[in-house]
Amino acid sequence: MSHIPEDELLLYAMQSGALSAGRRVEIESHLATCAECQERHDFLAIHDEGAVDEALMEEDTWEPVFGSPTYDALMEHGARVAEEDREAEELLRSYLEHPIRIAWDALTTKRRYRTGGVVRKLNAAAHANYKNKPRVALTFADAAISIAELLPDDMYPARAVYQLRGAAWKERANALMILGEFPQAHESLDRAQRAYAKTPHSGLGLSIVALVRAGVLYAQLRPDEALVMAERAERGFAHAGDEKRRMDAAFLRASILFEAGDPNRALPIFRGIIEHGENTQNEQWIALGSYAAANCEVDRGDMGEASILFHRALRTFRKQGPETERLLTEWGIARVIFHGGKLHEAINRMRAIAVELEKRGMATYAAYVGLDIVEGLLALNHPKEIVELAQRLFSAFTKAGMLTGALSALAYLKEAAATNRLTRQDVAAVRTFLQRVERQPSLQFVPPPRPPEDRI
Amino acid sequence: MPQELRETKSMTPVSPGGTPGVPASFEEAYLRFAPLLRKIAVRKYGIPLAEAETLVHDVFATYFTNAGEVNDVRPYLVGGICNAARHYLRRRDAREAIFCGEDPCAASPSESILQEVERKLLLRRLLARVGSRCRELLHRYYLAGESTQTIAGALHFKPMTVLICLAKCRKRARAAYEAMTETRP
Repeated sequence: MSHIPEDELLLYAMQSGALSAGRRVEIESHLATCAECQERHDFLAIHDEGAVDEALMEEDTWEPVFGSPTYDALMEHGARVAEEDREAEELLRSYLEHPIRIAWDALTTKRRYRTGGVVRKLNAAAHANYKNKPRVALTFADAAISIAELLPDDMYPARAVYQLRGAAWKERANALMILGEFPQAHESLDRAQRAYAKTPHSGLGLSIVALVRAGVLYAQLRPDEALVMAERAERGFAHAGDEKRRMDAAFLRASILFEAGDPNRALPIFRGIIEHGENTQNEQWIALGSYAAANCEVDRGDMGEASILFHRALRTFRKQGPETERLLTEWGIARVIFHGGKLHEAINRMRAIAVELEKRGMATYAAYVGLDIVEGLLALNHPKEIVELAQRLFSAFTKAGMLTGALSALAYLKEAAATNRLTRQDVAAVRTFLQRVERQPSLQFVPPPRPPEDRI
Repeated sequence: MPQELRETKSMTPVSPGGTPGVPASFEEAYLRFAPLLRKIAVRKYGIPLAEAETLVHDVFATYFTNAGEVNDVRPYLVGGICNAARHYLRRRDAREAIFCGEDPCAASPSESILQEVERKLLLRRLLARVGSRCRELLHRYYLAGESTQTIAGALHFKPMTVLICLAKCRKRARAAYEAMTETRP
């Protein structure tokens, strides 16, 4: 049997009117009896069905070939942002190396510094410095704000300039939080929030504001409000798909619960963080979650589980650091040993840890460990060693230039030990005070009330 | 969206080596995720395509302006278009619109949307490889909606030649598409 030529079959399939009526009838009859031609015809006839044809009819399938007004506009914007960043790199080089120059030179008076690139660069510099050099970060953030506020509202499409303003105010809040200037930090966060809210399609900025605000409230010892904010941030980050920041928010929320004396509610969150680390094969999250969950287990009295978790954390911190976390985990293990009743072994371990912490300039943590040692020595009834230890802690704090309130607390500890009147309650009171004064530097130490027989 | 033929002669992709001056990551993010964002706005929220295009533009413009803050681009953009769409639809206070009250989050695109977008991206890669003549024919026929006679007239071909070429291009496109789909895990 002879088949229908493909050209003719195609014409029949797509534009049958181009064929004569007689030929159409012939082809129709042939197709009824020839499976091969029928199959070829079907393939040719299906031109507006199926995923490929459908997608070929959609404009954005062709965008990489032809571009589009949106593509053109965005690439132009992207090129501008990149160019501004390149210029800012040059303009700010000496300022980033010598931040004090920013305070001397009024950048806003120099027209070429009034760019989005300069604001982005200053924001990034503020962020990089806020934890360790908050004063420097504040200088960068203030400069970023003064420029960002001068930029025209319509400088970028989609009011995106407000993102830069929001980020600048947020960096200012970060620095102020570390500096303990909480009311000013809240004011800056209000400004950041207002700016970010101008671009409602981007929820990330507002979520970051919520997280920083949770941190400020936590530092202000306002745990209930801090919890609400941390939860809000967590949901915002979940929405924006920012898993790293979501974990930061979850960790903060659990830490607040833990410090508020609620390890039972904190524990599942820390367990969730471990699970997240396992799912994403992130050893740091596993280690941080394990360490924090172990602390919860200690407070819950499950020393076996605490030991397992601390050791899990320790494996990672020994391998990858950070050293601070490694030392704190070692301290956790020593506390488990302490609770197990092996006081001598626990005290020996803690002494070694305290020395290492001091060497690294971590006087406050060394003091916390010292307080645990004091508790052990109290239980062993070694008052002389307590006096020596209290004296050493006081000297270390003085040398480290610690806050007056913290020094007063340690002086009280030293004196109570010397007069043989130190109790576990005193140690607990000093520990609580040291935790609080770290976040509220202006706090003054008030000695705990004594039982009536102790009063003169 | 009205579309202009950018390179009707050569039909080369817009950015074979990247657009000069634009960070590669910006262009890559746009070409990779813009179709998904459009689909979410149109299919999930029922926003007209022209309006959706504006929202997509705004989400990307904001991202380009402050990209340093973004850890994970795809979910950031998906969350962004979700917020933008909801804001567009409800026009309510921006602060309330930020946090989605739904669980799971409404920003997660459905499986069918993801599949469609995946198909589109495959097809885009394929169109970059089929050759400029095929691209032009497919474009004129499918997107511009030109008849084979019009195409033949414009290209100085016989209508039959256009039909045959078109069929061959489709055949190649389908075969390549199926091969690409099958090789995916």
